[in-house]
Amino acid sequence: MSVMTAPLKLEDLEDRSFDPFMVEKLSHGSTADPYPTIHAAMAKGPVHKGAYRDLFDAVPDVQMAGLNHYVVLGYDLIQQVLLDPQTFTNREAFEHNLGRSFGHTVTVMDGEEHARFRRIFQRAFLPQVVAKWGETVVDPVVDRLMGAFIQRGEADLVADFTHHYPFQVIYRQLELEPEQAPIFHKLAIAQLLSSIGAPQGQEASRKLGDFFAGLLTLRRAQPGSDLVSHLATVEVDGERLPDDVLIAFLRQLMNAGGDTTYRGTSVLLTGLLTHPDQLAAVAADRSLIPQAIDEALRWEGPVASTWRHAARDVTLAGVDIPQGAIVNVVLASANRDPAKFPDPDRFDIFRDRSVRPLPFATGPHVCIGQHLAKVEMTRALNAVLDRLPNLRLDPDKPAPDIVGHILRVPEHIHVRFDPA
Amino acid sequence: MKQWMCLNCGWAYDEAVGDPSAGIAPGTRWEDIPDTWRCPDCGAAKSEFDMVEV
Repeated sequence: MSVMTAPLKLEDLEDRSFDPFMVEKLSHGSTADPYPTIHAAMAKGPVHKGAYRDLFDAVPDVQMAGLNHYVVLGYDLIQQVLLDPQTFTNREAFEHNLGRSFGHTVTVMDGEEHARFRRIFQRAFLPQVVAKWGETVVDPVVDRLMGAFIQRGEADLVADFTHHYPFQVIYRQLELEPEQAPIFHKLAIAQLLSSIGAPQGQEASRKLGDFFAGLLTLRRAQPGSDLVSHLATVEVDGERLPDDVLIAFLRQLMNAGGDTTYRGTSVLLTGLLTHPDQLAAVAADRSLIPQAIDEALRWEGPVASTWRHAARDVTLAGVDIPQGAIVNVVLASANRDPAKFPDPDRFDIFRDRSVRPLPFATGPHVCIGQHLAKVEMTRALNAVLDRLPNLRLDPDKPAPDIVGHILRVPEHIHVRFDPA
Repeated sequence: MKQWMCLNCGWAYDEAVGDPSAGIAPGTRWEDIPDTWRCPDCGAAKSEFDMVEV
């Protein structure tokens, strides 16, 4: 039995009327379909001077603007960059944005320090560990959310389901009091706004940090079987995780583990619902779910780009990139590279799988939570297929429209089904 | 079932599948993979792998 978090109270933003969700959405760009632009840029060559954001109309990135940017496109070159962490480092690429939001997270570490902490965190998210959470943590959340709308015969699968379940999975892992959840979600989104200079960003980071510091103290005093107790007490080679590293990781959890899974699940459902033959195939044969997930994340990976820092002068595809440059690694271009994925814009769960898509990136910083994301998406899709018979898009409402050029998601998925 | 797993990223080596993209043919036993081989997901060294119950 773990300690309750009752004594811990999250403090809301001072300006209660501030809506971080709207501001954050704007910062991801409103581009409906960035792929024609990405394909056109690739056709001119795999490396360009300038920032990925500059290809689109975007809210200026006040922390990263003014730096010397290069865009890298295409599967092979992106793999080369991400698998060469000595040349292409993280700290300088992320200290201006995620580092300000989260603190000393593994995302802003390099080399030995990164490897040491990464192994400790990954141990808590290995496939055999997270598989157990499917039943104990994910299913109850999914069941409760779906129970609220299966009688209706219609739903917006984003507003009613995908925009909630991955976050609620995290609340359960943190054993957060239900009434704290809306403030927690708000602060988790607000902390990202450091990247566009909004003062609420640092305010949210500080308030979440205070909350997690209190939580760690409680869990260390009386450890339970939950994720925080595990991370707060785990020792590797006789060493515990330092508080600043652990708090930064917990700050990042909502965004890295909640936001991306909400987007990935929404994209998966969009792909299947707009291709009813493939939806029917998966409904009839659930062994197709892993390849449906892989294809959805290739087709519309929620994270379109990541960044690295050139630690030395380097030449990529004949283009000289000077030391200190920020390399924009456009994952979306790797996953739609026609040299690797024929007819790359087509959603096809039956396509050849010999080339591994890179939605979670690759290299030493590959997504720690990728196995949990797949467990969550599998459970969510199974529940949708089991509990919403005769599922189809609502013909009287707009079809789902995936938008954004940094992070992608449809705002709505209006569906109908036979009510329970 | 036990599998060799990369402790940096959780990628598991399946002998039946191998790692064709790195020239490791399906059916290759773990002990026959050269020490210079790297994890296809994260680039970690073969020594970063451990035998785990999955």
